[in-house]
Amino acid sequence: MIDPSEALASAKGAADRIVKVKRLNACLTPIKELRKSLVAQASAAHPSGVLYGMPVAVKDNICTLEFTTSCGSRILEGYRSPYDATAVAKLRAAGALIAGKTNCDEFGMGSSTEHSAYGRSLHPFDKTRVPGGSSGGSAVLVAAGALPAALGSETGGSVRQPASLCGVVGIKPTYGRVSRYGLVAFGSSLDQIGVLGRSVHDAARVLSVISGRDPKDSTCEERDSLRLPTVPESLQGFVIGVPKEYFPQDLDPAVRRACDRAIRLLRELGAAVREVSLPHTAYAVATYYIIAPAEASSNLARYDGARYGPRFDGSEDVRALYRTTRGEGFGPEVRRRVLVGTYVLSSGYYDAYYRKAQQMRALIAQDFRNAFDRGVDLLFTPTTPTPAFKAGEKLNDPVAMYLSDIFTVTANLAGLPAISVPIGRIRGLPIGGQLIGQAFLEDEMLEAAYALERAVPAGEEA
Amino acid sequence: MSVTHDEVRRIARLAELDVGEEALPLLAEQMSRILEYVAQINAVPASEGVKPFVPGPDAVRFRPDDVRPAPLAFGPAELAPAFRDGFFLVPKLGQFEDAEA
Amino acid sequence: MAGAWETVIGLETHVQLRTVSKMFCGCSAAFGAPPNSNVCPVCLGLPGALPVPNEQALKLAVRAALGLGCTVHPRSVFARKNYFYPDLPKGYQISQFEQPLATAGSLSYLSPDRGVATATIQRLHVEEDAGKSLHDRFPKQTAIDLNRCGVPLIEVVTGPDFRSPHEARTYLLTLKQVLEYAGISDCDMEKGSLRVDANVSVRRAGETTLGTKTEVKNINSFAYVEKALTVERDRQIAVLEGGGTVAQQTMLYDSKTNSVRPQRSKEESHDYRYFPDPDLPPLVLTEEFIAEQQTLLPELPAKKRERFVEKYALSVTDAAVLTADRAVADYYEAVVHAGAEAKTAANWVMTEVLEDAKDHADGLRVAPGALANLIGLVRGGTLSHQAAKRVFAEVAERGGEPRNVAEALGVVQVADTGVLAGWVSEVLGTHTTEVTRYKQGETRLLQFFVGQVMKASRGKADPKLAQRVLEEKLAS
Repeated sequence: MIDPSEALASAKGAADRIVKVKRLNACLTPIKELRKSLVAQASAAHPSGVLYGMPVAVKDNICTLEFTTSCGSRILEGYRSPYDATAVAKLRAAGALIAGKTNCDEFGMGSSTEHSAYGRSLHPFDKTRVPGGSSGGSAVLVAAGALPAALGSETGGSVRQPASLCGVVGIKPTYGRVSRYGLVAFGSSLDQIGVLGRSVHDAARVLSVISGRDPKDSTCEERDSLRLPTVPESLQGFVIGVPKEYFPQDLDPAVRRACDRAIRLLRELGAAVREVSLPHTAYAVATYYIIAPAEASSNLARYDGARYGPRFDGSEDVRALYRTTRGEGFGPEVRRRVLVGTYVLSSGYYDAYYRKAQQMRALIAQDFRNAFDRGVDLLFTPTTPTPAFKAGEKLNDPVAMYLSDIFTVTANLAGLPAISVPIGRIRGLPIGGQLIGQAFLEDEMLEAAYALERAVPAGEEA
Repeated sequence: MSVTHDEVRRIARLAELDVGEEALPLLAEQMSRILEYVAQINAVPASEGVKPFVPGPDAVRFRPDDVRPAPLAFGPAELAPAFRDGFFLVPKLGQFEDAEA
Repeated sequence: MAGAWETVIGLETHVQLRTVSKMFCGCSAAFGAPPNSNVCPVCLGLPGALPVPNEQALKLAVRAALGLGCTVHPRSVFARKNYFYPDLPKGYQISQFEQPLATAGSLSYLSPDRGVATATIQRLHVEEDAGKSLHDRFPKQTAIDLNRCGVPLIEVVTGPDFRSPHEARTYLLTLKQVLEYAGISDCDMEKGSLRVDANVSVRRAGETTLGTKTEVKNINSFAYVEKALTVERDRQIAVLEGGGTVAQQTMLYDSKTNSVRPQRSKEESHDYRYFPDPDLPPLVLTEEFIAEQQTLLPELPAKKRERFVEKYALSVTDAAVLTADRAVADYYEAVVHAGAEAKTAANWVMTEVLEDAKDHADGLRVAPGALANLIGLVRGGTLSHQAAKRVFAEVAERGGEPRNVAEALGVVQVADTGVLAGWVSEVLGTHTTEVTRYKQGETRLLQFFVGQVMKASRGKADPKLAQRVLEEKLAS
């Protein structure tokens, strides 16, 4: 498709554009190192690959042989992975260029990219605001036009939420669609690598490349890679459910207006739209904030300064080494979640918290199955309850920060695919609408997303 | 749901996390609020007997018993903050516990 | 007053499964490699690495469970056991907790005090091993070797069923025998492929409730099992008789001083915060998988012992000796199969064969067919028993067919009556006094004459034939 000189030009162009948006603090890779690596990758890339020459940035919690993989944390400052994540290896094999590592909330824990040890990323349209998170750096680079697509990761909405806030497309695939090998674990039963893209098509073609079986990940399904659907003429035959629990009384009226317009457009495209109920939605955030920290407390136990990463203490006692390394290496949000996660798993509390949350998770997943069993193909909801909020606004109120995930965590809990598509602007800031699909039916979800994307006047006030 | 300072200390020890005394009040308060928030799931009855939901494959797949290690671009010596004669080095265990065999 | 006390012991045995690669990654599980050479992202616990279970390890675990009469659950769950230790790279061990692979088995063993006793196997689960911490390699530093990290193990947990340290040891040897038989493990305590922790308590004889138990760890050789448990039992009795109470704690055994001391660690370290490992879907085993393991399970020692008694008319003791080791049992049956009489073959295997094996690294150096031929030569009168032993040693050392070897050694018995008659005449001629006494009725002297004939023939004479010729000559 493109010849090697174009790949080289693409590499240099990406580096130039990333330099231009440096003040947004979205890319953690030093620009000199990035430029050099991009050029080297462009000359080594295989021209027959379907993504030949396409620069794709990678969230800092996904392992790459190039660049450091610090997960936005001091505890992995300067850490170089001796292996590539499967998703990265697949990108490479398809001829894509790894365009640096993007800023994120530490280990993916946060919804604003303020919880990064390397400074917050700025919203591309209003630097006093957050770009969302945790894949904020990836969203910013795409929104600012530096790159067509970037990898992010999701545990509770970390791709879709910043996509909504930055006005780009964000896809979280079905749990098990993309290998997690090399994705630094946060909440293993919730984590998936996702893609942020300039358009549904850019995001989808990257997703298609990174999806598919991987013998290195026991939770990855034994399936071929995702096949890209074509852009549909209409949505005739689609039944789209609108869950009433996602439109509460106190929802920002502007968000409701944007959603109403999107729903109207879906109808005009030929889809049948009907109201549905997912009765356990109210408990999703609480359920999530038990399961995710519990798994995180165990997943983050390996960062102890013994085998890799920096040490923060020269003490003669290994326990002191652990405590200072972890105490100083982890930021406040990670510390909070590790403590909460340790608490809910500890003796005497397990049943009331973790076991109960597992049951709630089953009820939430059952809600979705019930809706799909009644003939609904897809669900439409707002992606986020508000557009981008001010930096610092929720920093000291963890529960308020957690509630910005209220519409996204359910898809992670139920393991379902979901996509956020820009549906307009509110007070000048982008907002996304979410389509939640059935497990492994990303193609249907993408068809509807293509249609909606084309129909929505995205830049317009809702 | 109120978490005491002692509980925060106990949990911090379990998690091997240094928590300074000065940080205790805020942490205890935040943990209390988080735990109080998440405890609302206990208001839902009828979840007894519900089988936990696990996403992903229904059954684990097996790997054949072949020696085929996943590749490492460089070895432990380059990863480790302290390494000598092929061993990772850590400070000795504290006096309060014994080495296990 | 040890007699007034009853000892109650339960054992938790960790056994390394005989696989070539580790439990959750493709690294070699071989013992003795240079430190940290059998490692990869998975067993190093690097960020982003994930576990994938080893099929052979699960087959062996299921075989072990079936061999121990357990119920193998078609669905079990891997769980994380969370604790911090420098040789545990992930900060948790992948094990099983609420839903183990197998439960409710039993193992019969020969109690030195109670005859055949049965230990209940409460549970059997699979898990990965930790690495190795070396505390005395460098001053002030602990050295960590992660080669062993991730090696597949099963843990076999008994009920509180043993009533003496000796019983516990006997059970352990029986367990080892079963696992070795089925090719599940090498069970080499010195290499760490079998490790045992014990729960020990004592109570007044006749009481039905259990006393406070302690856990005894660091028993690293079969030789120390009984010693360590005895030391701990005696300690508890002394505490109780002194009016004290036993504290529930972990005791470490020190083989150098033959003593136990409490492990000093904080109580929190025992809050393992088990939860299902989200990196591993449920371990679902099909009926076919389990059935296949059953068919691959060899006949186990107890069964084989019974069969040997029945089929070969051996005593229980002889059958136990012959079945103690699977290779020996197979060897014995091959000898019988090659035509040797069962009882004679048993005697040969239990004496010459096992003695030779003991001196030669357990090698069974004489082929079963050769031994059967040798036994046939004795039975047919070609070799005396003494000569046959020489032939056996020669065949073991240098090989060859027993008959050829016997001929080369010149030990084939002479059964030619003409030649025998010569030796008989010679003997009778030189012992006239004894001939007279014999003829006067002292017939027991016949054996003396046979001995003299053997001497004269330098062992070559067929003693039975010699006796007949002697009787004829003396009667005339």
